[in-house]
Amino acid sequence: MVDGGAPLKTSTPGSGGTPGTAGRVPRRWRKGSARHKLASRLGLRARVTASFAIGAFALSTVMAGITYFTARQSYLNERSTAVQRQAFVNASLVQNALHSPGTQVNQLLESVDTLPGSRSVLHSQGQWYATSISVGQNAIPTEERTLVLSGTPASQWFTLSGTPELVVGVPLPAVHAAYFEVFSLAELAGTLRTLAYVLAAAALVTTAAGAAVGRWAARRALRPLAGITEAAVAIAGGELDTRVDAGDDSDLRELASAFNRMTTNLQARIEREARFTSDVSHELRSPLTTLSTSIGVLNGHRDELDPRAQRALALLDGDLTRFTRMVDDLLEISRFDAGSAELSLDEVDPVELVRRAVDGTRSPLGDELEATTPRAVPIVEGPGVEGLRIRVDKRRFERIIANLSDNAALYAGGVTRVIVDCEPPAGHPSRPARAIRVIVEDAGPGIAGPDRARLFERFYRGSRSGRRESGEGTGLGLSLVAEHVRLHGGAVWIETAEGGGARFVVELPLVPETSGSEDAL
Amino acid sequence: MNRILVVEDDERIRQSMRLALEDEGYRVDDVASGEEAIASFGDGAHELVLIDLMLPGMDGFETCRALRRQSTVPVIMVTARSDTHDVVAGLEAGADDYVTKPFVAKELAARIRALLRRSRPSGDDTATTLVFGDVEIEPDAGVVRRDGTEVHCTRTEFRLLCELATNAGKVLSREQLLERVWGYDYFGDGRLVDVHVRRLRIKVEPDPANPRFILTVRGMGYKLVS
Repeated sequence: MVDGGAPLKTSTPGSGGTPGTAGRVPRRWRKGSARHKLASRLGLRARVTASFAIGAFALSTVMAGITYFTARQSYLNERSTAVQRQAFVNASLVQNALHSPGTQVNQLLESVDTLPGSRSVLHSQGQWYATSISVGQNAIPTEERTLVLSGTPASQWFTLSGTPELVVGVPLPAVHAAYFEVFSLAELAGTLRTLAYVLAAAALVTTAAGAAVGRWAARRALRPLAGITEAAVAIAGGELDTRVDAGDDSDLRELASAFNRMTTNLQARIEREARFTSDVSHELRSPLTTLSTSIGVLNGHRDELDPRAQRALALLDGDLTRFTRMVDDLLEISRFDAGSAELSLDEVDPVELVRRAVDGTRSPLGDELEATTPRAVPIVEGPGVEGLRIRVDKRRFERIIANLSDNAALYAGGVTRVIVDCEPPAGHPSRPARAIRVIVEDAGPGIAGPDRARLFERFYRGSRSGRRESGEGTGLGLSLVAEHVRLHGGAVWIETAEGGGARFVVELPLVPETSGSEDAL
Repeated sequence: MNRILVVEDDERIRQSMRLALEDEGYRVDDVASGEEAIASFGDGAHELVLIDLMLPGMDGFETCRALRRQSTVPVIMVTARSDTHDVVAGLEAGADDYVTKPFVAKELAARIRALLRRSRPSGDDTATTLVFGDVEIEPDAGVVRRDGTEVHCTRTEFRLLCELATNAGKVLSREQLLERVWGYDYFGDGRLVDVHVRRLRIKVEPDPANPRFILTVRGMGYKLVS
């Protein structure tokens, strides 16, 4: 396994360490660095969505900030200019009024025309006058006061009991006075606060919209990937004809065509192997036909042969049958391997089918076996089975029963009984039967746990391998049982029977999910 | 003595088949190609033909079709493949039955016997004329007429039609038809029935794609309604 993405070079000992003589290590690309860990934990779609959301958030925040501060600045400047202009106008009014003798300062201040929210404070002849009780001389910041009283006009921002205020001071040296106007910016602050809220809300909406767009874009961008995933699943399921539609996206076309090329190569390879097996089997059929026909002729003239020749003929006949079975089984296997096995479905009564199949398992492997296989195998019908109909491929079903019977006859002293039951068991009206179980029990010693699954492998004989008796099976029987059952969408497994023998349980759905050819018309 | 024509390109198989069939009491003529088969069949002396599907030159399908154009002689296809494609194509070319290589001589003999039995006008059928739509069947004479004109049926097609017509209105399963017409047991090949029904429909139905008389009963079998 390649680690950390570093190129792997295994120098073969004795080859002088020539670089490039890489051993046959299966290559697999893998993300090595830890920083990919979080990223890979999140799906691609989540990552794209997050990126879009973060981008939208950053952008909208910056935009909102700029908008807010620009607006604020422009408001303040405008207000400050207005207030200053007003203050100067008022200051000159006050100055003129103070020139004329006998002016009541308080009345004068009241009469001054001010902007809404602004208050006047006047310092005249060492006395302070104000239009508001709350805003007097003390409300004005000290530095502003000193600056103005020393003869310089000034304006200053300050905060008075939580509200921003602007004070504009104008010295009036001609009348030994100074005029101040204190302007409250409470209203402006309210406006700005509203603006801030609106902008924040807009930023949030934009972020959410960004996330939504990201999600949509990711899904849209990944849609072809979903197609490839589906195709891969189909191919893994044996549908080797599956191809990906390349579409018109240049980025994805490459991936799609690489994927299709891979599948084509894979398919060609699998088909080549399957065809080879199939061709070999077919080629063997011609000589086998001559053999079986000729042996048939010899059997017809059996009585004319001496006992030794008869015995030889019997051996020949037995093994020819076995050989033929093996060729048939290989052909069947090659069909499964090529994915060309088809179901030919018929709707039948399961018990009748089992009975016919069990009856049909006479002399599967020559006459010798027939003697050891007890005939008249009892068939036990479970409750609820009566009246059920099942859609199966009869030929394959017959092979399942025949192969299980052969297996029992060869290794376990024959079949003791066959049970037909439904699944789920009868008795629950709310749960109608959806499958049948055909259970074949034998008289053998049972099958050890580890052997149970492997027994369905090709040519696996497990602990029974020591036994090589006359009329031995082909070694493919049980694996074919598994294949036939799988083609029907069913399952097969091994349990222990009450008497200690093995129980082969075949479960077949009443209606197979696999699409098969049924009524050809 | 029944004369059988064996069409098989493999010399050894041909010889062994001749031996086996002669042991069963048939007279056997064997040829190695479809062309020879057509030539030697010309005299009409053969009561049954065995054709290997894979022949050099004119293949088994074509040979069968050529034979069908001139005769309703019973034909058994010999195939090395039991795949749907080959079997159905062979039957559609006009074969009555098929055997798969390698066959056991006894099995082949049984199929031949069943087919020859079928090809003789049977005495057990009801002698009365059967009628549905514009189709008339005379079981005794082995004649099917449609609108007064004779329809050429193979013996298997004829037996199948009789079986369906005598049980008009009843559903016959493929198993029943296989047993009654072909003499097969329960596990016979249902495709035999399907293809023969299709062939029959072409001959007797006004619109074979939308049959009015020979109906498929899904999951059950076939029935004839008049």
